[in-house]
Amino acid sequence: MTNTVILTIVILTLVGLILALVLFWVAKKFRVEEDPRVDEVEKVMPGANCGGCGFAGCRAFADAAVKAPNLDSMFCPVGGNDVMKKVAAILGYEVKEKAPRVAVVRCNGTCANRPRTNVYDGVQSCKVKAALYSGDTGCSYGCVGCGDCVAACQFGALSMDPETGLPVVDESKCTACGACVKACPKGVIELRNKGPRSMRVFVSCVNQDKGGVARKACSAACIGCGKCAKVCPHGAITVENNLAYIDFTKCKLCKKCVAECPTGAIHAVNFPVLPAKPAAPKAAPAAKPAATDATPAAERTDKKKEAANE
Amino acid sequence: MSKITFRIGGVHPDDNKISRNCAIETLPLPPTVYVSVSQHIGAPAKPVVAAGDKVKAGQVIAEPGGFVSAFVHSPVSGTVKGIVSRKDLAGRPVPHIEIAVEGDEWAEGIDLSDTLVTEIPSDKAVILEKIKAGGVVGLGGATFPTHVKLNPAPGKVADCLIINGAECEPWLTSDFRIMVERPDEIVVGAALMQKVLGCRCVIGVEENKPEAVEALKASVAKLGYPDIQVLSLRKRYPQGGEKQLIDAVLHRQVRSGCLPIDAGAVVQNVATALAVYEAVQKNRPLVTNTLTVTGDCLPVERQHNYLFRIGTPLSFIMEQAGGVPEGAAKIISGGPMMGKAVSNVDAATVKGSSSILYLTEAATKRNPQSNCIRCGKCSDACPMGLEPFLLNRLYKAGDADGLEKNAVQDCIECGCCLYSCPAYIPLLDNIRQAKGQVMGIIRARAAAAKAAAEAVK
Amino acid sequence: MDKLIVSPSPHIHARTSTSVIMRDVIIALAPAILVSVLFYGWSELLVLGVSVASCVFVEWAITKWLLRRPSTIGDLSAVVTGLLLAMNLPATTPWWVVFIGALVAIGVAKMTFGGLGQNVFNPAITGRVFLLISFPTYMTDWTMPSGFVRSVDAVSGSTPLSALKEALMSGSTISDFVAGYDGGWRALLTDIGGSAGEISAIALLVGFGYLLLRKVVKIWIPLSIFATIALISLIFNSVDPEAYTGVLFNLKTGGVILGACFMATDYVTSPMSRTGGIIYGIGIGFIVMMIRYFGSYPEGMSFAILIMNCVVPLLNKWFHQKKYGRN
Repeated sequence: MTNTVILTIVILTLVGLILALVLFWVAKKFRVEEDPRVDEVEKVMPGANCGGCGFAGCRAFADAAVKAPNLDSMFCPVGGNDVMKKVAAILGYEVKEKAPRVAVVRCNGTCANRPRTNVYDGVQSCKVKAALYSGDTGCSYGCVGCGDCVAACQFGALSMDPETGLPVVDESKCTACGACVKACPKGVIELRNKGPRSMRVFVSCVNQDKGGVARKACSAACIGCGKCAKVCPHGAITVENNLAYIDFTKCKLCKKCVAECPTGAIHAVNFPVLPAKPAAPKAAPAAKPAATDATPAAERTDKKKEAANE
Repeated sequence: MSKITFRIGGVHPDDNKISRNCAIETLPLPPTVYVSVSQHIGAPAKPVVAAGDKVKAGQVIAEPGGFVSAFVHSPVSGTVKGIVSRKDLAGRPVPHIEIAVEGDEWAEGIDLSDTLVTEIPSDKAVILEKIKAGGVVGLGGATFPTHVKLNPAPGKVADCLIINGAECEPWLTSDFRIMVERPDEIVVGAALMQKVLGCRCVIGVEENKPEAVEALKASVAKLGYPDIQVLSLRKRYPQGGEKQLIDAVLHRQVRSGCLPIDAGAVVQNVATALAVYEAVQKNRPLVTNTLTVTGDCLPVERQHNYLFRIGTPLSFIMEQAGGVPEGAAKIISGGPMMGKAVSNVDAATVKGSSSILYLTEAATKRNPQSNCIRCGKCSDACPMGLEPFLLNRLYKAGDADGLEKNAVQDCIECGCCLYSCPAYIPLLDNIRQAKGQVMGIIRARAAAAKAAAEAVK
Repeated sequence: MDKLIVSPSPHIHARTSTSVIMRDVIIALAPAILVSVLFYGWSELLVLGVSVASCVFVEWAITKWLLRRPSTIGDLSAVVTGLLLAMNLPATTPWWVVFIGALVAIGVAKMTFGGLGQNVFNPAITGRVFLLISFPTYMTDWTMPSGFVRSVDAVSGSTPLSALKEALMSGSTISDFVAGYDGGWRALLTDIGGSAGEISAIALLVGFGYLLLRKVVKIWIPLSIFATIALISLIFNSVDPEAYTGVLFNLKTGGVILGACFMATDYVTSPMSRTGGIIYGIGIGFIVMMIRYFGSYPEGMSFAILIMNCVVPLLNKWFHQKKYGRN
């Protein structure tokens, strides 16, 4: 009995020792030399492995960052400037700050604005639906509403609003990885600068039809009238193919275009709510002095900051 | 029962050829026609007319825009209103030539009589040239330019021309009607193409159309062209698929990634044969086609087979046929298995339009999807021997390599898998998407290989 | 016409559905159920009722409270599982044992994997094997209760296979046993003792014929099982008829027909390709015969099917059907 126990212990110990030696030898023989900085860089990465940087994952990004001569062409949209600074510190590079971005849904074709003209009965996939036909509304450019972007977002920042049938971006969760932009077959979603205090002005439409056609399909469509481009003091707005586009690098958030747009296709978001004014439409062209009076202190300081940034 | 059919897969939908006894009627001219420049596979045609031009029926209004492309002729006489962007039946904008109809005058040299011209030109180049000039494209669905198909690449030889009279899609009867009413013209058309290819010819007709088989056999016997045979095939969908028909008639399979000509076969539809006859023997280009108006909510007395001018808006034909019937939930252009659902009834007809099919919600609405029970009915039904359930799964997993390995690129989009799935899984919807992805990868790879080969030179 | 429906092709459907297929299976099982009820009477009805009700209930309860998904009981697959489970149990099984079997079949073997279509093992067989191991006394109590057609109470209805094992252990030979066992061709009609569903081979085969006719199942899996069992018994029996039972005896006893026609052909847990199906069938036949000839259990259909269920994913991976234009 005791013999059996002792024998078992001895044999097991021996087997363990031999295997340990084999493992040691294998580990030594097949060791791959790797820059230790890759591990360090990987540690400061967000670990989302989303591919938003253009690499296969955080490890691949770290590997590429270590090999790259500088960090100019590399950016981790999820970690943003903080992470890039840490990476730069580890590798001893300099890094330029990039303005944080956010995904913007450029379609306001809600169920109310854009009446449905037919019923789609295929698989609920934007890709399939967009490949099949122009969509279940009169607009052949806008959101088709099957939620491919929601499925593509791994940060839970997108959700479909059942009321409007359009995706909604949760800005606090959006990391601007760009997965939704790739997933959208209609090119409705765009990454735009987040803007100071998340204030942004953008054209919420991608319809390139002529004004009348676009308007017939959707009451909130950009009709390409060009009024916004004329009123813009910064030359940020271009109208091409019956569609206005605001260049977010040039826009100074003056909101003149918002007041000018006849269909309400230009959206200004996250601006502080102004106190109600009785004669709003008439005051629109002369918005500047009026606005200065009525603008709360917060917005004015922002404008000052902007001026300083210039 | 005929034993001749393809060997893999297939399904048996009810054939519902309710309009089979409706003789072909000539549709009145619409006030305006809209002639699309993209009526064929390949490069869009380039318009050669401008606003204000007077045109006659049969006159060229657009020229081929590339090697694989075709002439487009004016289907009516009248005034060109302009080149307008107009939505096709899927709602996408496509350039159309808008022509206001004035009278019905035909261009010179076009023989409008009914006399049968049986004498075949001795020079095959003349035949080919006339087919090309007539703007003839395949009318079986793919609308591939016929002159390109009849002119195989050097070194490739066809030993059999197959004329496709299967019309395996349920509901459709336009091919059936032309086979019954104009068998002589079809046989002459077949003989013309046979002359070009210099091979034997088989006309394959499914056995649910015995009148068509009889009529064609009678005219083959009467006209006495050598080496034309009429074959009765077992009824089975998709018999009219090019690859399936070759398998059924010749017991040969076209290798994956190859063309039918690589298996020594060329397949042309009966309607194409008729168009070839008219283009070559009558100098009459392809400006008319036959179209079935049918459906399960349409009483048989309101069903029609129409000879229509290409470019006539669907809505005009629908009005002529008495409007949209009560209970119609879906309008399909083409057959119920492979046709396109119409979202825009103002769209204009094109060369390949073959039907307006009204289906009720009960007939067409998909049931809610449930779990795959791995019954394998999709694999049994697939005429290409693929495994749709597997392709669907690989697509969802985003496995492009796996998709290519499991031959998603061989899919002919016949719809048998979704048709037979008891769980109503949208197999073809996803597989079509997957096929697009994989075809893109294969094309990119081929282009890269070509570029690399040229770089070595 | 309100709004047009638009969808990708095809625009029509064969209008088969999972529930239609399951309904066909239930119809196919009906003759065998009828015969078993006639022979085993009220107690068999009770087992059937409890089994079906508890399978349906367990599935409904799990989808409602655990998974919080729409209920899937409408597809009738739980009813089929319940029927098959009941047919694999002796008619004397107490109701609470049946309920436990249903709980294991649906709760463990089916729903933990994600419901219909996802399970690796045949639910009814898993339930049965669980009961066989947990409650061997109930599961091998072959006392025959009175049926509607014969009123003999408490006939010892030991299954031929277990009777044979006992006989062999007590020293008699096969020929003695077979002579004493009044089987022969009569057994094909009714007299197969054992689980409720095994009583009539003819009734099972009629049902299977219906399934074939409706194109619900393919014949190759049952056929390869039968062929393998026949071949192995033929070889062994001709080598030593005293130690190994013969072909017919092996085919008609121990739930081979029920298992091969209704359990091994379960879509979810059997291979999809023909080659895969044939290999699967051969595997089952081989394992059954090995268990019968050399194992300690009297029969082995359930174990054989469960073991081959494990191989199905591999068979599905290795064997594909012939593709067009790629030989």
